[in-house]
Amino acid sequence: MNSNPSTPMNAHAPSSSSGGAGSPDSNTPRRNSKRPKYSRFTQQELPACKPILTPKWVISAFMLVTIVFIPIGLTTLFASRDVVEIIDRYDNACVPGSKSQKVQHIQSATSNKTCIRSLTVRKRMKQPIYVYYQLDNFYQNHRRYVKSRSDQQLRNRGDENDTSTCKPENEANGMTIVPCGLVAWSLFNDTYSLSTSNSQLTINKRHISWKSDRDEKFGSEVYPKNFQNGGLIGGGRLNESIPLNEQEDLIVWMRTAALPTFRKLYGKIEVDIEAGETINVVVENRYNTYSFSGKKKLVLSTTSWLGGKNNFIGIAYLAVGGLCFLLATTFTIIYLVKPRHLGDPTYLSWNRNPGGH
Amino acid sequence: MSSNPQIPNPHLQSSSSQSLNFGSKGLRHGSDSEGFSMSRRDLNDDDARLVYVNDPLTTNETFEFSGNSIRTGKYSVITFLPRNLFEQFHRVAYMYFLIIAILNQLPQLAVFGRGASILPLASVLFVTAVKDAYEDWRRHKSDKIENNRMASVLVDHRFQHKKWKDIQVGEVVKVSANETIPCDIVLLSTSDPTGVAYVQTINLDGESNLKTRYAKQETLSRVPEKDFINGLIRSEKPNRNIYGFQANMEIDGKRVSLGPSNIILRGCVIKNTDWTVGVVVYAGRETKAMLNNSGAPSKRSRLETHMNQEIMLLSFFLVTLCVIVSACAGVWLRRHQDELDIMQFYRRKDYSEGQVENYNYYGLGMEIFFSFLMSVIVFQIMIPISLYISMELVRVGQAYFMIRDDKMFDAASNTRFQCRALNINEDLGQIKYVFSDKTGTLTENKMEFQFASISGVDYSGEKTEFYGEQGGYSIQVNGEIWRPKIKVQVDPKLLKLSKTRDDSISSKEIYDFFLALAACNTIVPIVVNASNPNEKLVDYQGESPDEQALVYAAAAYGFMLIERTSGHIVIDIQGERQRFNVLGMHEFDSDRKRMSVILGYPDSTVKVFVKGADTSMFKIIDESLNVDVVRATEAHLHSYSSIGLRTLVVGMRALSVSEFDTWQTSYEIASTALMGRAGLLRKVAINLENNLNLLGASAIEDRLQKGVPEAIESLRKANIKVWVLTGDKQETAISIGYSSKLLTSKMSQIIINNNSKMSCKKSLEDALITSRNVINVTHASEDDASSVALIIDGTSLVYILDSELEEQLFELASKCAVVLCCRVAPLQKAGIVALIKKRTDDMSLAIGDGANDVSMIQMADVGVGISGQEGRQAVMASDFAMGQFRFLVPLLLVHGHWNYQRMAYMILYNFYRNALFVLVLFWYVLYTGFTLTTAITEWSSVLYSIIYTAIPTIVIGILDKDLGRKSLMTYPQLYGSGQRKESYNAKLFWVTMVDTLWQSVVAFFIPVLAYWKSDIDGSSLGDLWTLAVVFMVNIHLAMDVIRWTWISHASVWGSIIATCICVIIIDALPMLPGYWAIFNLAGSGLFWICLLGVLIASMIPRFVVKMFMQHCKPCDLQIAREAEKFRNSMEITRSGEIEMNLPHR
Repeated sequence: MNSNPSTPMNAHAPSSSSGGAGSPDSNTPRRNSKRPKYSRFTQQELPACKPILTPKWVISAFMLVTIVFIPIGLTTLFASRDVVEIIDRYDNACVPGSKSQKVQHIQSATSNKTCIRSLTVRKRMKQPIYVYYQLDNFYQNHRRYVKSRSDQQLRNRGDENDTSTCKPENEANGMTIVPCGLVAWSLFNDTYSLSTSNSQLTINKRHISWKSDRDEKFGSEVYPKNFQNGGLIGGGRLNESIPLNEQEDLIVWMRTAALPTFRKLYGKIEVDIEAGETINVVVENRYNTYSFSGKKKLVLSTTSWLGGKNNFIGIAYLAVGGLCFLLATTFTIIYLVKPRHLGDPTYLSWNRNPGGH
Repeated sequence: MSSNPQIPNPHLQSSSSQSLNFGSKGLRHGSDSEGFSMSRRDLNDDDARLVYVNDPLTTNETFEFSGNSIRTGKYSVITFLPRNLFEQFHRVAYMYFLIIAILNQLPQLAVFGRGASILPLASVLFVTAVKDAYEDWRRHKSDKIENNRMASVLVDHRFQHKKWKDIQVGEVVKVSANETIPCDIVLLSTSDPTGVAYVQTINLDGESNLKTRYAKQETLSRVPEKDFINGLIRSEKPNRNIYGFQANMEIDGKRVSLGPSNIILRGCVIKNTDWTVGVVVYAGRETKAMLNNSGAPSKRSRLETHMNQEIMLLSFFLVTLCVIVSACAGVWLRRHQDELDIMQFYRRKDYSEGQVENYNYYGLGMEIFFSFLMSVIVFQIMIPISLYISMELVRVGQAYFMIRDDKMFDAASNTRFQCRALNINEDLGQIKYVFSDKTGTLTENKMEFQFASISGVDYSGEKTEFYGEQGGYSIQVNGEIWRPKIKVQVDPKLLKLSKTRDDSISSKEIYDFFLALAACNTIVPIVVNASNPNEKLVDYQGESPDEQALVYAAAAYGFMLIERTSGHIVIDIQGERQRFNVLGMHEFDSDRKRMSVILGYPDSTVKVFVKGADTSMFKIIDESLNVDVVRATEAHLHSYSSIGLRTLVVGMRALSVSEFDTWQTSYEIASTALMGRAGLLRKVAINLENNLNLLGASAIEDRLQKGVPEAIESLRKANIKVWVLTGDKQETAISIGYSSKLLTSKMSQIIINNNSKMSCKKSLEDALITSRNVINVTHASEDDASSVALIIDGTSLVYILDSELEEQLFELASKCAVVLCCRVAPLQKAGIVALIKKRTDDMSLAIGDGANDVSMIQMADVGVGISGQEGRQAVMASDFAMGQFRFLVPLLLVHGHWNYQRMAYMILYNFYRNALFVLVLFWYVLYTGFTLTTAITEWSSVLYSIIYTAIPTIVIGILDKDLGRKSLMTYPQLYGSGQRKESYNAKLFWVTMVDTLWQSVVAFFIPVLAYWKSDIDGSSLGDLWTLAVVFMVNIHLAMDVIRWTWISHASVWGSIIATCICVIIIDALPMLPGYWAIFNLAGSGLFWICLLGVLIASMIPRFVVKMFMQHCKPCDLQIAREAEKFRNSMEITRSGEIEMNLPHR
């Protein structure tokens, strides 16, 4: 900005007081020399590190990646292999018939929605066994849906009427809904009870949600009100005498999933299940995924340090590690076959083909 | 294209009429030729301004004239906000932001919350406003100082102190010696009885020499306190021509004409005159100084033009993305048409009211349209608007370093490098052609008298250090010794001859010759104190360095000019004081290319002395008087100019009484004419200047500036073609060409100087054939490729430029290594630049120092002004200004190279950075039913280009250096990378975009597949993507940084840390849906594994390609960089670096 000479009158303060025309004495020291003050910064000569990737560095970098990635890949792969997972899709099995029949069945208030499934455990499952429900093709990340909630209302009793964002599920019968919005309205309400041949499997539903959500996000003073009283029932109902921060199914549900196929934690089984056992599942199949061809699955899964069963990350790590090993060898070969002396001026373009460019 | 200042084209007028030079630029009296073109216009009362002397009330009755307070600041406290916003929204980029922000306010389209959507616009506006406010504050500060200076103004017959801002037009102002003039005033009287005032105009045009201004006879005897001056001045409307003024004054019923020599302009300083009194004609913003105060010229850099093309491509990508999203959204809605009503995550129907209505659904067509608009909002940063602001900041930073470079500081003139244009820094790295002026640019424009040829005798004997006795000529005045300030080497033979006074013809001719040198000029001698108290130095002040040199020379030979007033001169001739009356003077003009002075001798004989360029002088010399002398002089002139000297011819004639009377009458009529004065004066001059007796010729050396040959050598090695365009004669130009190493003996010269179009055509055709042959021969044998030099003169160019021959000239010129154009007029200079500019894509740079270079400087892509001896017009018109020609080398090879590399990289990086983010958003949209949900929180997407990634690119854009100064200077060829557009081109753009696509795929899909069918929530995955993308772009940048200073480290790693902090803060707000997500996420191993995997996998292709290219097809820069580091056989050694680092103090 010092450069802007928009005011030449000021830019040229009468410094050269001696009106010596064609004879500025360069020898005499000037009182107000404009010579820029020297500093390594202004001369752009700050000490600097100039890394240059020599062949040695390149090969070592690739080798380093190989050495790091292959073991990680292998461990994750093994970890994923150790996870035992039972997935059972029950939506179609529980309600036979055409799509309209299914929708009719699920929407009817009177139809019997109980459905019995039996699952075989192929490998021993060590506790804790996580019980998930998985919905496919359910866009919990749909813009209309994600936005349709009021985090203020969930936290504070005072902000009960802060429901402008919840449309079209902000009020019913002229009264505010707590919790409002499509997210809460569509609360998943299938229930499962599991038993093995010899005993009932207790599903622990305590602390399935994030502690931070229970402590801060959902208020202990806020109680459900006027919920599922509108013209259209979206899903589960809530016990109006329990504060929101204890409605863990709701808390889990309201942490909207990132992807259209997702699992949500239903509960934990805290006993081991031996291989070969059969688990009987009594499903109260209430939740309507039939109207949009969604899928419902029950998932029982053990866990590893990595989470659930997923081979992808292990394979990806092995692939990257392998690729880097390949690249390391390729570069080694290139450097051996066609070495280049670093900084050799004969490679400069004007030295290579004299005269031309 | 002619050099006639009467060309009607208004665009050309200003530059053509300013000053045309003959042979050299030295004898420039620009004022007159300007006055000529001005005075032909009628000065009607309609477009005149009426100023009543000493009657500000009447003058300002109609409130038409501005007061003397100035305001260079744009804003006041109240107007700042509206005006600044108004100005900012003039930029298209900001309008884009604004429209997006407004769109987002529509409830149907509200993608982001209010705050988040305004933030990008607000932050951009804020940064710019702060910058503007700071600049304006500085202007206000200087305005305030300026406005509150004191001046003495005539109020109630007494001079009283008044602040500058209170001075009004029509008031009478008194200015004492060494004071600055507060406004433009017409001189009424001065302390000098003849009414002369000396002014220094350094603040106005940078010329440090003194100029003379005159009060009119009619007013100079009045004492303003006592005599009531009652006059009326009719002057032209305020204009910015500082060399022209046209007015007349009615005083005591008489009409007196006023010209540029009667006005002193605001900003000038009174010197050597005790006081001056004048009447204010222009005040405040209407003064010529203020009117000339326009901002820097605005040009757009080549890189930016290319960048805008790519931005068009990016907008095309943006539209494509939006079309894909909206089309898919349409298909999705259509397929789920029947289910939408009750679908839990859509629920079209609103049951809350009495009747069931569609909620926020306006039919398929509208939904598609809305989703198109929404996707524009979400993907808005695909078009990197912040890039424009970053570029501005980077350029400011680069300019800072260029200005502070102590290797571009000129100690001799105490000038720093100046960056006047702030938006073409990077063009300096792509220059292919340099058009250079000669005088003052390649040479110092410090004239030194060398040889004389007097009546056919050449006095160019060996030069000695002999200055005459006692170190130069001196005279005794009142017991003091007066000597000329500058000593000149003398020819002993001539010195001896000049001292002998006898009646021989040769002695008389030598006498006349030196008398002519001492008298025929506009030099003012000023006596200054010397270190020795008994000694005084005579300093010759004048506008022309040539004249100064001649007067100093005359003084050295015993013809010492010691006094000049408007009516007479006193010359001390060999110790004997002689007073001559100056009866009239015809100043230099570009048509006559000569000047003359009419001297009345003490014995009342009258003689006219004329000096001028050889071409114009030989026409008016009476050859019949002495043919041999004329021939001999011509031969001498030729030999002088062939060694690069500037020559002038001097002639003289005695006037008979009748001749003198005729002249005097017409001279008086002409000089008081109100209309066409300059034209009339010229006619009078032409009638007088004829049948002259040739006295002799002088040769003046204009030395090459320091380092010019080396600079030209470097530029040539850098594959920059240097063309010299000069007004000098062909021989002078060629000899300068040799001495500056522009021409070498190995080159074959093609010379074109013709007088008709046909002959031009023929010689062009011949030249083309010759050049082809030469090039073929050299190609076959030698390594020195095109060693053809073209020398062409202005007359030929008249026929070639603007005709079909241009094409041939271009073809020829592009084959030549060197082109020298001599005897060219200012407009032809511009024409030559245009010749190249029109036909090639190569960047051109014009460098010059004088008014005659202005048109060329403005025409070229980059204009550089030399702030040297001549005026400041070149600097005012230039984009960059510096003190010496040789600074061109560091400017182009070092700063230009750096600027280009930095800016090119920064643009590509910004494209990449924004596109990567947009693509990650885009992939996610494909998994949300095409509904433009963003997993990344809206605050993060807004802060992405403001905080997360903004600072490193700016810092790297200012500070990164691909190569050290030493390497760049040692190997000028490295400059070629900019000329070949190696760092920014379409191919690189596409490669970058493909790389971006890959990186976005990796960044998106690795987490998606890793968390597929898991209970991951949107916010957590969003945080993962935010961090992954920010880490990626910073690591990408880190891979490309070449020099890691602590600042680069701080900015790159600092912004990663800043991002983490921001993400943590956002996730610590319980009212946002993503509360605590990052903490839960960071506790899981999968997150870290994903992050590492993304970072490595995304960078592999880029790294592999980079390493492969580095090894197998290393570019010159790469090799030089390695050499710099490993100090191989190249001389770039560590010691060199250290030596370079030492301050040059």
